[in-house]
Amino acid sequence: MSKELKVKIKPFGFLDLLAFKNLVPTRKKIINSAAADLIEATPPVNVLSQRLHPKTQHFVIEDVTFETPSAKTYRLVPDEESETNELAFFRPGQYLAFSFKINGSTVKRPYSISSSPNEALKGYYDITVKKDEGGFVSRYIWDNWDKGTKVTSSGPEGHFCYDNLRDSGKIIGIAGGCGITPFRSLARSIMEGLLDIELLLFYGCNKKEDIIFYNEFSELEKNSGGKFKIVYVLAEEELEGFEQGFITSDLIRKYTDVEKKSFFICGPQGLYKFIGKELAKLNIERKYIRREVFGEIKDIDKYDGFPQEASEKSFEMKVHIGDDSATIPAKSTESLLVALERAGLCPPSGCRSGACGLCRSLLIDGNVYIPKDVDGRRMADIQFGYIHPCSTFPVSDLEMIVPREA
Amino acid sequence: MVTNDYQKEYDALVIGAGNGGLTAAATLAGKGMKTLLIEQHNLPGGFATSFVRGRFEFEPSLHEISDFGPPEDKGATRQLLEDKIGLDLEWLRVPEAYRLIIPNEKGGRLDVTMPFGKEEYISKLEEYVPGSRPYVTDFICLCEEVVNAFNYLAESKGKADKSILMDKYPNFLKTASYSLQDVLDAMKIPYLAQKILTAYWCYLGLGTKQVSFTIFAAMFYKYVMRAAYIPKYRSHGFTVALDKRIRELGGEILYNTKVEKILVEDGKVAGVETSKGDKIKTQFVISNASPHLVYNQLIYPKTEIPEIALKTCNARKVGFSAFVVYLGLNKSPKDLGINEYSYFVYSTPDTNDIYKQFHELRRPTGQATVCLNNAIPDCSPEGTSILYLTTLYSGDCWSKVEPKDYFELKNKIAEEMIDEFEKALGINIRDSIEEIEVATPATFANYTGAFNGSIYGYEPVSWDSVLPRMMCMNDEKYIQGLEFAGGFAFRCHGYSSSLQSGETAALLTYKNFMEVKNSEQRIES
Repeated sequence: MSKELKVKIKPFGFLDLLAFKNLVPTRKKIINSAAADLIEATPPVNVLSQRLHPKTQHFVIEDVTFETPSAKTYRLVPDEESETNELAFFRPGQYLAFSFKINGSTVKRPYSISSSPNEALKGYYDITVKKDEGGFVSRYIWDNWDKGTKVTSSGPEGHFCYDNLRDSGKIIGIAGGCGITPFRSLARSIMEGLLDIELLLFYGCNKKEDIIFYNEFSELEKNSGGKFKIVYVLAEEELEGFEQGFITSDLIRKYTDVEKKSFFICGPQGLYKFIGKELAKLNIERKYIRREVFGEIKDIDKYDGFPQEASEKSFEMKVHIGDDSATIPAKSTESLLVALERAGLCPPSGCRSGACGLCRSLLIDGNVYIPKDVDGRRMADIQFGYIHPCSTFPVSDLEMIVPREA
Repeated sequence: MVTNDYQKEYDALVIGAGNGGLTAAATLAGKGMKTLLIEQHNLPGGFATSFVRGRFEFEPSLHEISDFGPPEDKGATRQLLEDKIGLDLEWLRVPEAYRLIIPNEKGGRLDVTMPFGKEEYISKLEEYVPGSRPYVTDFICLCEEVVNAFNYLAESKGKADKSILMDKYPNFLKTASYSLQDVLDAMKIPYLAQKILTAYWCYLGLGTKQVSFTIFAAMFYKYVMRAAYIPKYRSHGFTVALDKRIRELGGEILYNTKVEKILVEDGKVAGVETSKGDKIKTQFVISNASPHLVYNQLIYPKTEIPEIALKTCNARKVGFSAFVVYLGLNKSPKDLGINEYSYFVYSTPDTNDIYKQFHELRRPTGQATVCLNNAIPDCSPEGTSILYLTTLYSGDCWSKVEPKDYFELKNKIAEEMIDEFEKALGINIRDSIEEIEVATPATFANYTGAFNGSIYGYEPVSWDSVLPRMMCMNDEKYIQGLEFAGGFAFRCHGYSSSLQSGETAALLTYKNFMEVKNSEQRIES
């Protein structure tokens, strides 16, 4: 029911009804006088997004360097034949997820970029791979990657990065073994002036000969004007100039106070567990602890909540992927993602740590075990029965729907 | 030439599982059509999703859904999701309409908190602007007439009776071709009351001098009368439920698959081809991707692109993209001094100036900021809170950003927004940031492939507002069998409009599908 408006609306009258009648003719006129050009070029923001987040990057290995007898650095340059003309810029601490075809299965593995973002602009990424860490894929890389080998990865991924709005400008880095690689990127970024922060790095190794980037770090430390300092902690050797033992809270306090400093931790799972307990003694606020993704769990049967009756068992898993269905074996001690890959089913994956959600799948039937600290699922996904196969372990026969690879 | 080596056939195919695509697919499947929904990402929702950082699950885009209402007085969007599609989810009412802060308003700082409800709203405004009651009452009355007129037009399905329009909705006809500012001025609404009434302008992404009055009126009225709601588990909570419902209704969904071509023969949809090499036959496509993407990139062969479709694209202006700072804070909202759910902070008083400034890569002058815990107290662990600060940018002003400057730039702008919010409220949040993520136009472009990163559809200026779009709907159907859903469809952008647009597109498709089917049967017999 139209109300007779008390306020006299002066400019509204007969002409306005005409304006209403003219709405359609006006629209038609505007449309008809527009250009009929086809916009064939990708819009500029979409171009920017593709440069920042390429779905895939193709490389040729330009060089291979031995860092230690058991660690090699691979220098990757764009493979222009495969239409990669520039490398995506990144933030120190990010990783690339590489794709491999090994024995008929397609697998992906994340490796941190060990060079600096400025070096990406110059045309290369370095990744550093230790022979014995990370299992069969690292071994595969050692045996198969050489100068001239063509390899493929994702764009830069991951959130193990310094953020000036969140983190302290004074960083305490804790690295174990091959977990040193993102810190080289960070240290170089500090030296190159990309980041105006200080890094005190505790680096745990078994022996001096296992230290990766030893000479480079010594050099960086000398030239950093106090912005970069490194403390080597050797578990199995006692040497002058090196700490002996493990990275304990006492050792950290020996070198620094911890008030309002950000901890960045990267290394094998044993290190995370150990450091977690040590930092608890220091009463560090959660916001000051950043941890790189956990990696695939290899000792799931040692977890508290793991149903022991399932241990050592193998189950049947019915999988629907794309238009295909298959029934495959799944061992209780291996993630569902590994079972899918072993069966050659090419599931999508990314971080392999429960976080990124690229492998997200729908569990239709069956029981699984998901350790709490790698359960990165959305709340509604938990409610609707979705799982991340990379951090999920079978404890019964099961059935699930897996999206086909992107 | 289009060949006939199709692998599969569907009655209808939906491109994109955003809000409009999901409701379209659910409606088609509900009508018994053999339906396939294809989505390039591995999740449903498009921008209506969620993401996890540390112990926080963030809402990427939704501030509040309008036209929803409580269970006992359902708005059109709640009716669609619950009664027509059959979702059964928990939705929470947003506690207040908004708190509006304009630090540099003429005559001093404006800081008002407005409630939902007609009487409550009018009375509160009278408190802030004494003497405004009769003007604001008339304004809301006019908005009601606009909403009723739209409802009448929708019911009449393009066959509106002019005499009924003249008789029942004269003020609608009078105001339909004017901007919001024209109407505010014509009604002589006091200046400060105008400022308070127009706070929602940024949801439409056009200043008061440009935005069509009727579309603003409809949005404003629905918020004030029916309040606003949000889903308990972020937008992902209802989009994952829609995914489930579509499959229950017999629809199929293909994720990680991108439609690369819409095959057209003699002006009619014939099928689609995907990035995975699927070639699928169908006569009906509903696109949640924009006409800009469809006509410029997807129609195949290119000779089938109607010239008038390109003209229509080029005549219209693609709306804004967004810049959002997502914060996981390690203090409760109360401890931080954040007491409201929805804030509009405009550091430039005139909406038309802010609109212009959104076209420059500069310190943001307007933001819409939400503290999720003030509607969903347990959305994050006890003693923490989720806050997200949103501003708008045209895609074009980001077009010259180089990747090497990108991360620094985004944190610089994020810091400026945090600073602006802290100053407006006189609080500190910077020291409590436990998690931060920043989305830019490039992020939105990356996530859905949206044209130039736009999160809004076409700008609803007077000639391209909902009303002229409705009046020209039949004339602007350029390819037979192709409908659009989502923020670029005729209802304009916003969650409610996008969700409802999917239903409309599906019903039109169903009608055409039945006509084709019936005529085929007639031919057979």
